[in-house]
Amino acid sequence: MEKGLHLAVQCPVGKQDCPLGAELVRLRQECARLAEMVDTDSLTGLHNYRHFLRALDREMERTRRTGLPTALIMIDLDHFKNVNDTYGHETGNEVLCATGALWKGNIRKIDTLCRYGGEEFGVILPGTRLHRAVRTAERLRRVLGDSPVDLGGRSLFLTASFGVDVFEAGDDDSIQAFVERVDQFLLAAKAEGRNRVCSSTAAAEPEPTELSQEERRALLGDST
Amino acid sequence: MIFQEIPLIPGGASRVVCFSSGKGGVGKTSVAINLGLALVEKGRKVLLVDGDLGLANVDVMLGLTVRTTIRDVLERGDDPMQAVVFPEPDFGVLPASSGVPEMVNLGPEDHDQLAGVFGSIAKAFEYVLIDTAAGIGPSVLWLNSLADYNTVVLNPDPAALTDAYALIKVLHREYRREIFHLLVNLVRDEREGIQVCEGLAKVVRKFLGISLEYLGSVPRDPEVIRAVREQVPFVRQRPGCRAAGAVRKLADSLEAWACLPGGKGESGQNYA
Repeated sequence: MEKGLHLAVQCPVGKQDCPLGAELVRLRQECARLAEMVDTDSLTGLHNYRHFLRALDREMERTRRTGLPTALIMIDLDHFKNVNDTYGHETGNEVLCATGALWKGNIRKIDTLCRYGGEEFGVILPGTRLHRAVRTAERLRRVLGDSPVDLGGRSLFLTASFGVDVFEAGDDDSIQAFVERVDQFLLAAKAEGRNRVCSSTAAAEPEPTELSQEERRALLGDST
Repeated sequence: MIFQEIPLIPGGASRVVCFSSGKGGVGKTSVAINLGLALVEKGRKVLLVDGDLGLANVDVMLGLTVRTTIRDVLERGDDPMQAVVFPEPDFGVLPASSGVPEMVNLGPEDHDQLAGVFGSIAKAFEYVLIDTAAGIGPSVLWLNSLADYNTVVLNPDPAALTDAYALIKVLHREYRREIFHLLVNLVRDEREGIQVCEGLAKVVRKFLGISLEYLGSVPRDPEVIRAVREQVPFVRQRPGCRAAGAVRKLADSLEAWACLPGGKGESGQNYA
């Protein structure tokens, strides 16, 4: 619901301090709050799983129509159970909130960061090719490692594992299949030792098409 | 504008031939037009698509009056066949628009729609020749991805050579095209055409690992310049000139490749 909409309420008969008008404002505010809650993870304030699915569906459709790929990063905090077991669930919740806030400040405005569930997060990157998405994942991994959580004087260093892949215009995956595809890379990151980013082999910088100096020399007669 | 009822070619599939160059000004449009007309002389029905979607050239070079363009077909859903102009009974031209920048950056939805348009019109022709814009923009690359036969047009100029190589490289690396046919325009003689092709083929083989096929060459001919200025194709204006003879040989080569039934003069010559 649009913010400020409640300011537009006017009593139809022009009465000042109209009780119905006030109730309408209250109801609108409550609707706006509930609408936000439906899409928001109550702990971290990030988007929730429900919003994640809707946003991903929308971006995949945009990909089909525009040709620009949608990238997806699936993230799982490493050894998070140990954090809960060692420091308690309250601290675990603080860690999740701090991590969410940290990563939110390290993605673009057009990207969607969601708490997928538990200690798992998802980042939807519209119009993003694979190698850029991998660079983003590396940045999130690095910034997490460089930003210990302050536990009342003690520092808790965290790591996470990342899976990255893209949905392209010619793909025919469903949302679930695409998420599953990215999850496989996340599992691979875990299996390979955690604290890393895994993606398809195509994630290296795309094979360059720019002509090299060698090619230019060969074309213009300075053959090697 | 001449309308004509076009019967479907019984059982036939059109051959789609794309002409691109990388560099502009190599004479690609002129060659495509005249090659199309040379194929008509062989009894073929030919559609020439102006693939320079935002800056039309073909209709200008032929002096055509255009009322409906590809853009009108896409945006208004006009009947594609109504957009085809017939300078000659078996030679249709699907005109592009002029001064429309958004036509240069069409997205996949528009490409799908355009592919459908081409598909519906192509049934009436044996050859669909697509004259793309210069450069390596998205529409150039996409149109090449539709082709059965990717022809790269260049002249002996080093910049044209470099740009032709760049085009081949992009189409090979990003669109997995493996076979390219080279047409060298504005040559002194056939020997120069072959030399240019061999030089480029050597580089393509070394760095891209693919081969080039030599389609042929068109010599520099003052009759061509006169015909272009008069907005008349040189195979019609000066049918005996060197360039016209060369273009007819190119048509023979294409016919040999296409292996379509019927037509006239199926001798074909192998320039590979």
